[in-house]
Amino acid sequence: MLTKKQKHFNIILAVVMIAMSLFFLFPVIWMLANSFKTDAAITSDMNSLAAFVPPALSGKFLDNYITILTNTNFIRYMLNTLFYAAVLILLGIIVNGLAGYALAKINFPFKERWLLIIMLLMIVPMETIITIHFLFIAKLGLLNNVIGYVLPMIVNPFNIFLFRQVFVSLPDDVYEAAQLDFCSPVKYFFTMVLPMSKSVVATVSVFTFLNVWNDYLWPSLVFTSSDLLTAQIGLNAITSNDNTTMGQTLAVITLVTIPVIIIYALFSKQIVEGVVSTGSKEG
Amino acid sequence: MSFIELKNVCKQYANTNKKAVTDFNLKINENEFIAFVGPSGCGKSTTLRMIAGFEEITSGELYIDGKKMNEVAPRDRGISMVFQNYALYPHMTVEKNIGYGLKNMKVPAEEIKKKVDWAIDILGLEEYRKRKPKNLSGGQRQRVALGRAIVKDQKVFLMDEPLSNLDAKLRVSMRNEISKLHRNLGSTTIYVTHDQVEAMTMADRIVIMKDGVVQQVGEPMELYEHPVNKFVAGFIGSPQMNFFEVEVEDRQIVFSDGNRMQITEEMAKKLSPYKKKVILGIRGEDIKFDPQNLDVFKDNKMCAVVDNIEIMGNENNLYFNFGGNTAIARVSKYEVCHVGDKVEFVFVPHRMHFFDCKTEEVIPV
Repeated sequence: MLTKKQKHFNIILAVVMIAMSLFFLFPVIWMLANSFKTDAAITSDMNSLAAFVPPALSGKFLDNYITILTNTNFIRYMLNTLFYAAVLILLGIIVNGLAGYALAKINFPFKERWLLIIMLLMIVPMETIITIHFLFIAKLGLLNNVIGYVLPMIVNPFNIFLFRQVFVSLPDDVYEAAQLDFCSPVKYFFTMVLPMSKSVVATVSVFTFLNVWNDYLWPSLVFTSSDLLTAQIGLNAITSNDNTTMGQTLAVITLVTIPVIIIYALFSKQIVEGVVSTGSKEG
Repeated sequence: MSFIELKNVCKQYANTNKKAVTDFNLKINENEFIAFVGPSGCGKSTTLRMIAGFEEITSGELYIDGKKMNEVAPRDRGISMVFQNYALYPHMTVEKNIGYGLKNMKVPAEEIKKKVDWAIDILGLEEYRKRKPKNLSGGQRQRVALGRAIVKDQKVFLMDEPLSNLDAKLRVSMRNEISKLHRNLGSTTIYVTHDQVEAMTMADRIVIMKDGVVQQVGEPMELYEHPVNKFVAGFIGSPQMNFFEVEVEDRQIVFSDGNRMQITEEMAKKLSPYKKKVILGIRGEDIKFDPQNLDVFKDNKMCAVVDNIEIMGNENNLYFNFGGNTAIARVSKYEVCHVGDKVEFVFVPHRMHFFDCKTEEVIPV
């Protein structure tokens, strides 16, 4: 039962949390409201509360969006990014998952040291090794190539660590039972380990998607062909264009933001579960 | 030839000096129900896991159906196993759990369905067939694990403390179900448990282990009546056998609290090489309080004050301080007495066991 003091504290906490949520939501609301407006309307509403209110529904309500989607390659960029994300999620789960499984369940020499090295790699920022990646991919002749983009992004120390932390808590007797059920180790990984670790698979998938979706530096180095560009580079290209209006800029930013919000809304529970389980299930 | 044979099987883990299992020798006949029993850490599960192939055999040989199995993968040993924690596949329904092995064995779908239906039927899982393990009780999960083991028609069943996670009532009913299943299927079963009651009630033969060494192998009553050492005598039977350090003086046994008891000349003669001191063991039901026995053995009547009484319903356990120990006697529910009562009793002479003080081996008398 809550004491009076606790009840008061909860009320204050709720008020603070609502205020903070609004603080972070203001720019998003502003962006969304103005993405439906003409530049003139945006400028005139700038210094009033009307800046947070979308215009009345009319025939021109979606003009900014229609212009972006019809006059630019933005749909293509979005589809490209979704494709890269899907490939990287799939390969990332297989490669990082297998590495995590090996570190969790298979005995091999210097296992703990390997884990330590992988954990140390987590603190190395991508930007510091991106030149090496670039030179490597260039030498392989894979610039402007999907493989060249995907290859260095498959292995992710953080994802290996996440997988390892969850797999270490999987009971060994399930593997033994599966062995007696004529299940091969590879089949066991795909039909048992991954389905039994849905939350971490979801977490890794979401993180990978967000990485790919928000990544700007690596695709801008690898891709020069406009057919292969990602949403973030497309966004930059469109917004840098002198002919793009402010309303259209906000519309394209909104379009880039929507998938991220949807993903968070759909998978927030799994993300929390996945991350929490990596900390609490250590066996 | 026996169906399963272990010859000098040893297990020693890396970085340890002590063997987890030492020179395990056993022949198991086809269709036999064998129980490995012993306290925690005695090596019974390790031995079972070596038979299953989950633990490497450090030295010695394992034969199943005449074939050496030391280097054979678990799946190719012709065994099924029921695990202590059920080891069900959490994302699969009951019927998928049971049929998973058959599917991997490439058994035709129709036959899988037939076998799964049969297992579900005999284990009473019909209404749960579409449920996942998390929606089942402990007993139901254990039955699914049994179902998974029986559908594959393997010749050997290994069970690693399958009932230890169940409550007492469920354990009794599952005990009965496993015994029935064994009788119906006729498969060779090796059952690991730390519960001597399970071993006594289910097994054809029991292997008692301590510190990785087999202490005695035999039928339940053989172990109960003729234990080869103090450990076996104490482990089998509930309440456990009473032990007293006694001295043998001529034809008398002298307890540490000064009580004395007459023994036969032949008995005294057999005990004489043990430099007087021996351990006397007697089971609770062989301590008699009834007038008939008190009359028959009137020369050896002894007295004690009842310290505590455990009422079991069908009988009572009487606790009393005697011979420097707390002794427990099992008496009929009709033999009424109370805490603090001074009671007379006798030890039935031919039911007494004697053990060497040093080796704790039985002294045949």
